[in-house]
Order: sequence, then C-alpha cells, then structure tokens
Amino acid sequence: MGGTADILFGGLFQGSLYAMMAVGLALVWTTIGVFNFSHGVFMMLGAYFAWQLVTWGLPPFLAFPLSVLAMAGMGWVLQASVVRPLIGRSNLVLVVVITTLAAGSLIENGALEVWGPRSKQIPPLVSGNVMLGSIGVSLHQIAIILVTPLALGALWLFLNRTRLGLALRAVAQNEDASRLVGLNVTMLYGLSFGIAAALAALAGIFLGGYRFMSPVMGVDPLLKALIVVVFGGISSISGPIYAAYLIGFFEAIASYYFGLYWTPALLFAALILTLMVKPEGLFTPNRSRGLA
Amino acid sequence: MTGPMLSVSELTAGYGRITVLDKISIEAGRFGNVGLFGPNGHGKTTLLRAVSGLLKPRQGRIVFDGEDITEATSRAIVKKGLIHVPQGNTLFPDLSIADCMALGAYSPRARPLEDENREKVLALFPKLRERWRQRVATLSGGERQMVSIGTALMSHPKLLILDEPTLGLAPKIKDELCRSVLEISKSGVPLIVVEQDVEFLLELSQHLYFLNHGQVETEIKPGESLGHSEIMAMYFGH
Repeated sequence: MGGTADILFGGLFQGSLYAMMAVGLALVWTTIGVFNFSHGVFMMLGAYFAWQLVTWGLPPFLAFPLSVLAMAGMGWVLQASVVRPLIGRSNLVLVVVITTLAAGSLIENGALEVWGPRSKQIPPLVSGNVMLGSIGVSLHQIAIILVTPLALGALWLFLNRTRLGLALRAVAQNEDASRLVGLNVTMLYGLSFGIAAALAALAGIFLGGYRFMSPVMGVDPLLKALIVVVFGGISSISGPIYAAYLIGFFEAIASYYFGLYWTPALLFAALILTLMVKPEGLFTPNRSRGLA
Repeated sequence: MTGPMLSVSELTAGYGRITVLDKISIEAGRFGNVGLFGPNGHGKTTLLRAVSGLLKPRQGRIVFDGEDITEATSRAIVKKGLIHVPQGNTLFPDLSIADCMALGAYSPRARPLEDENREKVLALFPKLRERWRQRVATLSGGERQMVSIGTALMSHPKLLILDEPTLGLAPKIKDELCRSVLEISKSGVPLIVVEQDVEFLLELSQHLYFLNHGQVETEIKPGESLGHSEIMAMYFGH
C-alpha cells in the first residue's frame, strides 16, 4: 500500500511543478511562435525575489504575490527588449532561441553577483508535516498539489471566459486577422510573456520552499518543461498540462520500480517512442497553433 | 459630406526590394461603392493592406474621414471605422462563431453596439445562428466567408473593404453571398470590393478602377457605362 501512496503522491507533486513550468512555455509558443529559453531564469528570479522580500521582513503571503507580479513585469520587459524588435524576421524562431538564452545567461550571472552562490531557502507555503497513510509528507507539498490546479484553472477561465483571453487566443491563430479586428498585438505579446513569467515565478517559489535555491535552479526545470511540451504537443496549453502529470506519474512509477538512476533513461526512451509514433505530440488535435 | 471618405494619393508600397504599387491614387465613398479589378498580382490586395495599416507604404498619403492615416496602426484605423475583410476565409480556425463575433466588437467604438450589430449579422446570415458554438474550421467555405464578413460588420464599419468575397465558392453559395453583400450596401455602408466576377462587380459598384502593373490603368466614373466585353478586353489586352 505504501508503494501506491508514494507513487500517487510523487506523481501528483512532480506533475504539478512540471505543469506550472510547461504551461508558460506553451503559452508563449502558441501566441508568439517562439521558444523562450529564459523561462527557467524567471523561475529562479521569482524564488530569489521572494527570498529577498522575506529577508527584508515582509510576510510570505505578501512577498510571494509581489514576487510573482514583479516577474510578470520582468517578462514583459524581456519580451519588449529581446523578442519584439525581431518580430517579422523570417528566422525569428532561431534568433529568439539565441537572444533569450543570452538574456537568461545574463540574468543568471547577475543573480550570482547579487545574491552569491550560497544556497538559500524560502519559507514553505504551509509549514508542518502530516502522515498520509503510511508516508509522511509536508503540507507545503500538499499545498502545491492543490494550488497548481487552481492557478491553471484560473488561466483557463481567463483564456476562455474573458474578452482579453479571447484576444490572446485569436492572436495565437492569425496575427493579421487580429490586427484587422483592432487588437493590440504588441500588448498581447507582452501579456503572454508576462503571464508565462508569473507562472514560472510561482513554480520557483514552490520549489524554493522545499529545496535549496541556487542561481542555476531554473536550468533543470526548463529542460523538463521542454520535454513536457514536446511530449504533450505545443499547439495548445491543455496538451502540456496532461503531459506534465503523465510524466510526473511515469517518473514516480519508474523510480519506485527501477530506481532513480534509470528514470531519465526510461523517460527519454518513452519520449522517443512517442515521437516516433506521434511526432506532433501526444495530445495534439488535428489543427494548427491555438490556445485551448 | 462632399469629399471622398477615403482618398489614397500617390501611394508607393511593396515587399522588400519589390515595388508593387507605383504612385497609385484612388478615391472611395464619394460615388457609392468602389470596385477594383484587374489581373492577379498587380497590386489589388497590396493596396488594401496598405490602406488598413498592415503594410507600411513607402510614399504617398492615405486620408480617411478627414484624417491622415498613412502612418496609423491597424488598431487605430479599425477604431475609426475602416474595416477590412481580407482575402481567403481562414480567419480564426479554432474560435467559435460566437467568439469571432465578440472579437469583431472588440474596438471601443463597436462595443456599445454589440447586441444590435449581432442581430443585424444574424438577420443577414441566419445560417450562423445554427452553428453559433461551432469552430470556424468545421464550417463550409461559404459559411466561413459569412463569418469573416459578419465579424467585420460587428466592428460597425463606416467603410467596408471586401477582398474577393466570393473566391472559390460554389455558384449557388456565391449567388447567396452576392445578395448579402448587396444588402449590406443597401443598408448604407459604402464598400470597396475586389472581385473577379465582373457581372457582380458591375452590379454592385458605381465607381470602378482597373489596376495593372501597380497603377490605375482605367478609371470608370458613375455614368460612364462599360460593358462586359470591354472589361474582358482590358484583362486580355486589345
């Protein structure tokens, strides 16, 4: 019984973190059509910003939302500085890989300069532990499992039930037609980057609450998020969410039965097999770019 | 109003090193509807893209409703009521008809009139009501064109641009759509229409421009009659 609980809990927990990261990446891809390689840096920066605010004496319930908001602003600024000037170029996708990687590297080393290499930790969302059946888990982890669907649900409602969300979905599908109904495409691009950065910051705050933080803490999650979006299909934001939880459970099962060392190899084997059978991603319906 | 609603003067535009429009001048909204015709690849669509702000012109001036819009963004132009229905009907494949209509009313000028305009669109295209929640990609070509035009009407146009509205439609559907376009015109919205169907263009417009090599080769003002055979002669040379 302990095994099942372990797998269930581990899968939900990892899946939540992956979903949080991957959705932002997918959002930027669907709206602007570029991959943001500085996405992991926002996760790191969000966690460090929250840490700084808490160290200055702000209570976490203020520090965390402030940090998320600040990262939304940072995302907007980054988009305006290294993505927007390049829009319209035919080799946009590749150029933006370079510019976002460069910006990410600058910010990463900037963080190292400002906060130093020593590992830090931010307070958990909820402190304390509980016994869940036969396994002990922290309330922080449970909070993450519960907050993630809420955040993603809010994003879904925003995209599907508001006029601004409708505008974002429209831009994702046809830029010229969006201009012809009077949408502010530049603003919507900024917004999509801002939302993505805010989600990454939230993931960073989640992660910084139970693991030690370092300036390179975003590298690994970015790689995972890339795997998730490739696995789930990059044409929507629901695909990556399903894929995130699927990979979370896959890893939990693999590490339980085959051990931690085999897990990455098994995951990549599964990924390669999936892409051989369904190169457009596991949850891609028959259509072009678009948010749903 | 005495002057034209839209006047384009000495407009030069193109893509990269290629010049498509060479000092072209047209007027619209003075003598009823304007029809643009001419062989493919001679600047009709480029002219419309420049007018609605999708393409920045190199030289020249565009004035709409008394204001210079040469440098204006598409958003500002839509706000002023100059609405462009682009060629093809692949607007927003994954949005529902309801979503498209809501988007049409995005501009602040159109928003207070959203309900009223929606009723007008549904009266004009009753088929859209049946498919209200369906994704655009699942509709037929004619229905998609109705959605495109309906979305534009939701923007409450002062001047409406239609770029080949009947392109690729079956004859029966095409007739239906032509009647709808005539009805829009009768409701008091002046049109600029690019169309390959000369009969339809002659029926719809009072003021015609024949575009060739990025210039106006012939202008036919109201009163100057022109037959089908003369237009064919323009297309194929004398």
